[in-house]
Amino acid sequence: MVATYTQLLAERYRGKLDADADKYIHYAVDGALRMQKLVLDLLAFSRVGRQGSSPHSTDCNIVLRAGLENLKTAIQESGAVIQHTQLPVVMADSSQLLQVFQNLIGNAIKFRGSEPPVIQVSAEAKGKEWVFSVADNGIGIAPEDAESVFVIFRRLNTRAEYPGNGIGLSICKKIVEQHGGRIWVESEPGRGSTFRFTLPVKPIPRGGYGQKNENT
Amino acid sequence: MKTPEILMVDDNPADIDLTSEVLAQSKQPFHVNAVNDGAEAISFLRRKGKYAQAPSPDLVVLDLNLPRRDGRKVLSDIKADPALAKIPVVVFTTSQANSDVIGSYELGANCYLRKPGNLADFIAVVQSMAEFWLCFASLPQKEKR
Repeated sequence: MVATYTQLLAERYRGKLDADADKYIHYAVDGALRMQKLVLDLLAFSRVGRQGSSPHSTDCNIVLRAGLENLKTAIQESGAVIQHTQLPVVMADSSQLLQVFQNLIGNAIKFRGSEPPVIQVSAEAKGKEWVFSVADNGIGIAPEDAESVFVIFRRLNTRAEYPGNGIGLSICKKIVEQHGGRIWVESEPGRGSTFRFTLPVKPIPRGGYGQKNENT
Repeated sequence: MKTPEILMVDDNPADIDLTSEVLAQSKQPFHVNAVNDGAEAISFLRRKGKYAQAPSPDLVVLDLNLPRRDGRKVLSDIKADPALAKIPVVVFTTSQANSDVIGSYELGANCYLRKPGNLADFIAVVQSMAEFWLCFASLPQKEKR
């Protein structure tokens, strides 16, 4: 409501008041939109581990396809090419796994370099876990920031360069850890990043996916 | 007396503009230098690159959640550098987390102020901050550099 009415104000009165007024309206619209996004993202963050459906047999190929469908516009606009190998079936909350794929691929598109994004999604079994990888040819991350990118609100770039509120990767981390996995990034600045996360081949026992067992 | 120099570090241009406007209304003139991220703040303070001619600030007004170099790191950098440690740093942020208040004072912040959400309080806080630190408080004489 705040966003829509400030946008209406902008549409009706831009150029009719004075330069200061235009600037104030711009800040108000921008702030309202950012606040809206922030509230939605924080809700998504807080839902992880509280409302997840119990883990079920989930075909990652289908989850990936759904993620790509949601990112259709960004993929078309950026000319991104996304390749993937055959992905496994895992025990997971499919809607949360969708968030992980969508966030990682969305970031790979967003933090692209001058070339159109080429993104490779793959998974391989290593011991008792699946290691998933999302590799891109984007701007990359300096080694000293490799851990802090997963911290909530942490942003490595200015809002003018890459808009965002620094919640996406913290959601991914929370989801992966709820599933008994780990997430990390390997990167070389300027040459691209590879985000990897693991999921146990054998899922962790019931109650370990975030729903606290009320009796214990 | 020279016009006091303020370095404001904030990634939200709306907050920088509002603060500058409030300060422009005050009787005492202040000069606001603004940078949008933590790495720029350090370059400004150490006069690196395009900041070679930057003034030495009398007060740093620092947000905590900043892109590139986090505000907490900027604060600890300033307080660990003998050439900068004496500059008062006011943490000016929307964070209400007690851990941020405690953490900031532990890192050597001179004051922690929460950004008020409404205009009248915002104006009052910015004016009192500038008056207190730049008109009333005795600060070390700046060394010539």
